[in-house]
Amino acid sequence: MNDVCVVGMGSTEFGVRDERIKELGITAVARALRSCDIDREDVDALYLGNFVAGMLEGQETLAPLVADSVGLSGIPTMKTEGACASSGIAFRQAYQAIRTGVHDIVVVAGVERMTNAETPEFTRALGSAADHGTDGATGLTFPGFYGLVLDRYMYEYGATREQVAAVSVKNRRNGASNPRARFRSPVTVEDVVESRLVADPLRLYDCCPAADGGAAVVLASAEVAESFTSAPIPVLGSGHATGRSAAYRYDDLTTLEATTLAAEEAYDAAGLSPSDVDVVELHDCFSAAEIGDSEDLGFFEKGEGAAAVAEGRTAVDGELPINPSGGLLAKGHPVGATGIGQVYEVCLQLLGEHENQVDGAEVGLAHNLGGSGAVSTVTVLGGPSHV
Amino acid sequence: MSESPSPPRFPATRCPDCSLLYGHEAYVCRECGSETFEEAPLDGNGTVYARTTIRVPGSGQQGKEPFEVAVVDVGGAESVRVTARIEDNPGVGPDDPVEFVERREGVFYFRAA
Ligand SMILES: [Zn+2]
Repeated sequence: MNDVCVVGMGSTEFGVRDERIKELGITAVARALRSCDIDREDVDALYLGNFVAGMLEGQETLAPLVADSVGLSGIPTMKTEGACASSGIAFRQAYQAIRTGVHDIVVVAGVERMTNAETPEFTRALGSAADHGTDGATGLTFPGFYGLVLDRYMYEYGATREQVAAVSVKNRRNGASNPRARFRSPVTVEDVVESRLVADPLRLYDCCPAADGGAAVVLASAEVAESFTSAPIPVLGSGHATGRSAAYRYDDLTTLEATTLAAEEAYDAAGLSPSDVDVVELHDCFSAAEIGDSEDLGFFEKGEGAAAVAEGRTAVDGELPINPSGGLLAKGHPVGATGIGQVYEVCLQLLGEHENQVDGAEVGLAHNLGGSGAVSTVTVLGGPSHV
Repeated sequence: MSESPSPPRFPATRCPDCSLLYGHEAYVCRECGSETFEEAPLDGNGTVYARTTIRVPGSGQQGKEPFEVAVVDVGGAESVRVTARIEDNPGVGPDDPVEFVERREGVFYFRAA
């Protein structure tokens, strides 16, 4: 098995963008290629994650179109889809291809354009990640799914609404100093708990904003990685798992098994445990999601995640910084770009170059989740000294 | 409300090969792979597991907000968990009793018991 490294990376700003979907992909890929000393002829494949370009922009066949536009000619390309985990899956497939010796160098991109859509098209497209026959038929939305999760979590563990609001406060504070974030202004606990209800008990400021954006990384086998960059970031472990298809399918709605299974695989592959992780970018599509994720990833005992945030333990200067980028709550959630965007932020941390740098970050984790907990990927990355 | 007659039976189904009970439609038994199911109606009394009120609806539900969606455990000694609508009662929450009303356009409706 070949070891795999991130050798290049690029991202657009996340927010409201004028470019079309293909152009966002081109920009991200071009920036990733430019960030390392790599010839386009050496790239073996391009994998691209996207969720709803077909529905919102009528643009499909994205992977080959992006590849041709950036001068990656003739290579195999493909698009991966798993709702919000679309590009986490692309990363995973590229990693597997290099690990097993099928390819040496693969470009992985994630891209989405959402803010130009009219509300009905937008809600229809996002809703397509739910099972139409069960959850979807009841009118359950994605905020609604996490409303159910939070309702049960607060009932079972006695967490307060104010503790949960601390997630949004922390992530908006972090996003204020991240130039790639859509929201750059902080909010208070009062702002969150007084914002309008969206899906009780979730309120507007508990929900991530839509965004447009693209992100890309170049993956290479460790054998050749150092010829492209002086600071390759090794992928220490990777996990990818399927979870439950709808809310009623969970025995315990406060634990999303796709995450626990993917995390177990990634930790085992890395030979590490949650306590070895120094910095985390996890899937905070809603404040309630960050709390559940932080427990599912093994950082806190069940029921302790909400208090941990409120006590500042997950702040940039806390014992385990979570979403120093601002997360989805501040960066925004360009669905198909989110997974690679998270890997991008973790890599900046491991290079010591992040705007909200975590001191001494040597091991980072990126966690991507799609649908109602239907699919998850977890990636454990190491600092350049781990190669 | 306490004087009302017992609620209608809930239209569950059962896998004849391994006896697994289903609330929502199943096409293949996830336990044994069987493709046939038999009717297995349950007592319509249930308990709310979790509940939310949708105030920003998705496509197809505009103008119907707010409405309640809940995960409900329905049945007696044997029960199944379903995603359902709660009719007109934003007050219900975890562990509150509900009763089955009807299935309409594929959606299970319950109300506070
Ligand atoms: Zn069966």
